[in-house]
Amino acid sequence: MAKTILIVDDSSSLRTVVKLALVRAGYEVLEAGDGKEGLAQLDKAGKVHLIVSDVNMPNMDGITFVTHVKAHPRHKFTPVVMLTTEGQDAKKEQGRAAGAKAWIVKPFNPPQLLDAVSKLILP
Amino acid sequence: MRAMTFPSVALRARPASAAIRIKAWLMGGVAARGSAASAASVELAARLDEAGRIWTAHLGTAQDQLRHATAELLEGFTQILHQLDAVIETGAAAPGAALVANALDQRAAVLEHCETQLRGLLQNFHGFVQSRDEVMQSVRLLAEESASLGGMAEDVAKIARQTNLLSLNAAIEAARAGPSGRGFAVVATEVRRLSTESGDTGRRIGEHVRDFGKRMRTALSNAAEHTEHDAGVIRASEQTINQVVEQVDTAVSQLNERAAELSARGEAVRAQVEQLMIAFQFQDRVHQIMDQVNSSIASAVARLQQSLAEGTVPGAEEWAALLSAGYTTQEQRCASSGDAPAAAPSSNDTTFF
Repeated sequence: MAKTILIVDDSSSLRTVVKLALVRAGYEVLEAGDGKEGLAQLDKAGKVHLIVSDVNMPNMDGITFVTHVKAHPRHKFTPVVMLTTEGQDAKKEQGRAAGAKAWIVKPFNPPQLLDAVSKLILP
Repeated sequence: MRAMTFPSVALRARPASAAIRIKAWLMGGVAARGSAASAASVELAARLDEAGRIWTAHLGTAQDQLRHATAELLEGFTQILHQLDAVIETGAAAPGAALVANALDQRAAVLEHCETQLRGLLQNFHGFVQSRDEVMQSVRLLAEESASLGGMAEDVAKIARQTNLLSLNAAIEAARAGPSGRGFAVVATEVRRLSTESGDTGRRIGEHVRDFGKRMRTALSNAAEHTEHDAGVIRASEQTINQVVEQVDTAVSQLNERAAELSARGEAVRAQVEQLMIAFQFQDRVHQIMDQVNSSIASAVARLQQSLAEGTVPGAEEWAALLSAGYTTQEQRCASSGDAPAAAPSSNDTTFF
């Protein structure tokens, strides 16, 4: 059975591109436009094996979202990969402190993303 | 009151020197023009507000158009990918090599089926010829039998001749016996008539048998010719079948090669489309930069309006901080600091925590 990955990004085109890479690699994909939508998706979803999240988003940013995920009763162990235009170490540190497992600066290439996904995704 | 002129020409021409001029103009205006400056400040604040609103609107329009166009392009590319998937009949789970191998298996199976069917037809033809040969063998036996019938007819004619001779002798003997032999002479005459008829019948039988034999031999001769002809037809048919199978094999092989070539080209096009879609990530960076510019315009206008109202000029550090607030990309930071423009990263290492 295909594993499920949640993509959280306010850019629909970015979600389309990430989804393309993941679906063609055999994953099932859920989508959310910001951190709040992401949390709502997690509340109603079954098992989510990994989350790919942007950082700069309206309503709820990626760092806050990860903090909420790590406190979520069912998804606190779900690994989160940050996929963002932010490349500063200070931001990365914020992501690490919030509980993210990896940080990829956009633009990504699919093998790079799939490599991180395969290393971190839950069994 | 004379309206004050904002140095817009200078601002468009050389933004850096224009900023200095604005600053001098503001400072000079406040100091030298007194109450007129206050009115000018209000007007300038309104102009700034208008400029900020217009720039923001233009940026918003550009972003909307960019978002819309990008979404449409990505949707189009996604459809193209789906169609390519359908055409190539592969997904991630069925690479092109497997497709070609499968096509080769199918080709072999189809050819084998065709050949079996054609050779089955030929086998039926063989069976038909064999049945005809068996019939002709029976006819040959009949012809041999007819030859012995001819001998028997000859025997009958011979017996008839001897009987005729016997009856002639009997008639002579009856004539020699005189009146007492008259009855015997009648018998001898009848015997001679019968022997004559027997001879005629035997001759006719012989003629019929010979005619029958002749027809039989003709039939056998014709059958032999047909057998030869049929063997030639079968050989030609086998040759034709082999040629047809070979031609079909060649045609199918060429079709498979074309299919494999199309499949390879399709996969190449698909890979290119995927790369194009990946390249659309630039749009995300562009939006982030434009969002920041938008936000920065609003902040700058507000701060300048405040400066006009207060008759002050924002400090250099404060101004720099205001303009750089919300930067998310390295390109923005480089552009702001005056460093060499940073190219958007094409590929990055992943940082694992």
